[in-house]
Amino acid sequence: MDENALIHSAQNGDLDSFNTLILHYQDSVFHTALRIIGDEDLAQDAAQEAFISAFRNVASFRGGSFKAWLMRMVTNACYDEFRRQKRRPTTPLEPDTADGEEMDSPRWLADKGMTPAEKFEADELEHAIQHCLDALPTDFRSVVVLADIQGMDYSEVATASRVPLGTIKSRLARARLRLRECLRSFEELLPSSFRLQEEGDL
Amino acid sequence: MKKFRDIEQLSAYLDGQLSPSDSARVESRTSSDPELDSVLSDLRAARGILRKLPQRKAPRNFTLTRAMVGLKPPLPRTFSIFRFSSAFATILLVLTFAANILAPKMGFGAAAPVAEYALGMGGGGGCDTCSPEMFAADAPAATEAPVATELPALAPPIETGITATPELLPMSTETIRIAAPTEIPTAKDAGTLEVPQDQPPVTNDALIPLTWQIGLLVIVLLSALIMYGLRQSAIRKWK
Repeated sequence: MDENALIHSAQNGDLDSFNTLILHYQDSVFHTALRIIGDEDLAQDAAQEAFISAFRNVASFRGGSFKAWLMRMVTNACYDEFRRQKRRPTTPLEPDTADGEEMDSPRWLADKGMTPAEKFEADELEHAIQHCLDALPTDFRSVVVLADIQGMDYSEVATASRVPLGTIKSRLARARLRLRECLRSFEELLPSSFRLQEEGDL
Repeated sequence: MKKFRDIEQLSAYLDGQLSPSDSARVESRTSSDPELDSVLSDLRAARGILRKLPQRKAPRNFTLTRAMVGLKPPLPRTFSIFRFSSAFATILLVLTFAANILAPKMGFGAAAPVAEYALGMGGGGGCDTCSPEMFAADAPAATEAPVATELPALAPPIETGITATPELLPMSTETIRIAAPTEIPTAKDAGTLEVPQDQPPVTNDALIPLTWQIGLLVIVLLSALIMYGLRQSAIRKWK
């Protein structure tokens, strides 16, 4: 795949060329959206929005890493999704049972934090990591997803996030620190090679 | 707790983002400081866990359709010609309607030429918007004309278009009769006055003829139909 040729064609309005690029990057884009948002359906929406936005703005792409540019679209789409959720929370005010009666103890009233039993039962490492990612501030989360999950270098992350390199460095360090703290509570789920060392008097 | 600056350095060191000299400094510090080395190990483990996270496949294709991105089929050049003609004809059509509605109210239109004609002929043609004072101001001497003042009060009024005979009435009297033709003529005058046969009848015809409007409407509809056909044809070809 000649990426530059496809980008050039897309910049001239060739949708088929852009769709070829989409097929190449859609897994990365969706995975990034999923890790930032933490919800599969919303991540699909964000990924779709990101691609639509990318096609409409592909003429403004001036070279460099296309993946980083695409990731900027997806992180923006995720931020838009967060803003939408803030404006229009989807939690029902009066959740009903299947019989139409009001629930005595609806789930939405429960503490969002995981109980020890739930932690213990979280048999998938992925869920645990996602839980820790969700606990991060959005800005930190997007940086750590791009750098550590997508494996992008600092300059690419800076391009995607539109923040200076120094800020990326700082946010990444803070995000890793917080993740370290969070993952410590899921120690038993972690592979032995990744067991975190006992925390000292840091 | 280590300074955040140290942790930031360790994080950047893990990613190979430090200069060789800074990297060497970090390595020497971690080797001499077990606490710092422990932090480095934790950061490395956290990063390793994230990097080992399995990549989730997209559950569906996110390829775009033309409708999704609002792309429209390329239209032939003739389309713009028809679009222009349709728009132009529509504007003209609206203007003709507006002209026909507003012209009588503004004092233009069909009544104006008739009034001019009547005045030009010296007859008592209608001037709907004219008042007797307007004429009186222009011809103050006419109001003092002896013929006008001598007219009997009970004389029946006659229709418009009365012309005074030149030998009986001076020009000033004629002017007065134009201004108020239904008040001044009398039965006595009726015998001396004659109604001209060649004066066109006053009509309420529209300023813009109906045929023009129909023509414009046909242009609008035809252009719209042709544009629709061209668009559908372009869409079919595009698919």
